[in-house]
Amino acid sequence: MKGKKEIIVATVVVAMVLFTLFFYLTGTSEINFDQILLVSIVLVLVGLAMYVIWDKIRNVQKGLPGKDERTISISNKAGYYAFIAAIWSAVFAPLFFDVSSGYELKGGDVTAIVVLVSGFVFVVSYLYFYWKGK
Amino acid sequence: MKTRIKELRARYDLTQEDLAKKIGVRRETILFIEKGNYNPSLKLAHDIAKALQTTIDELFIFEDE
Repeated sequence: MKGKKEIIVATVVVAMVLFTLFFYLTGTSEINFDQILLVSIVLVLVGLAMYVIWDKIRNVQKGLPGKDERTISISNKAGYYAFIAAIWSAVFAPLFFDVSSGYELKGGDVTAIVVLVSGFVFVVSYLYFYWKGK
Repeated sequence: MKTRIKELRARYDLTQEDLAKKIGVRRETILFIEKGNYNPSLKLAHDIAKALQTTIDELFIFEDE
């Protein structure tokens, strides 16, 4: 039952992200390269999250748990890497943009970069450990 | 580390999914333990040994590296 609740919550979150993206794109008159890049990263993250949800649903339907000690362990490892990535991106993103283009990032931009980078690192490392086995 | 899980599963005519259901883990976890790609916790090792009516010593073969 606990697994089912998590699946429902995760599905609602994915749906909300997709709705937000839809309204963002329909409300934008002009779409530039930066926006396409941003939306692409979000779509990749959403796609991978949907894969993880689908995998949990498949297991629950078979009468197996949605998560076990191995998936909890790889979630913790992936979380650790995402945390490190968040710290480094918070430090180096403003520095990188300042040195490379002279553009000073706003607080909101840095937050967006940190969320995207740490989310991406979490998903990639989760899938890597998931397929590798540990 | 090598395991005899596959051999003992065959003895009791259990699939990976059957064993996974018995001990409450995902099928992939059994697969990775069999392949030696994942080291289970002591509790999980105990549960697997119990499900296969053997001991941890019999189930897992540790090799000096």
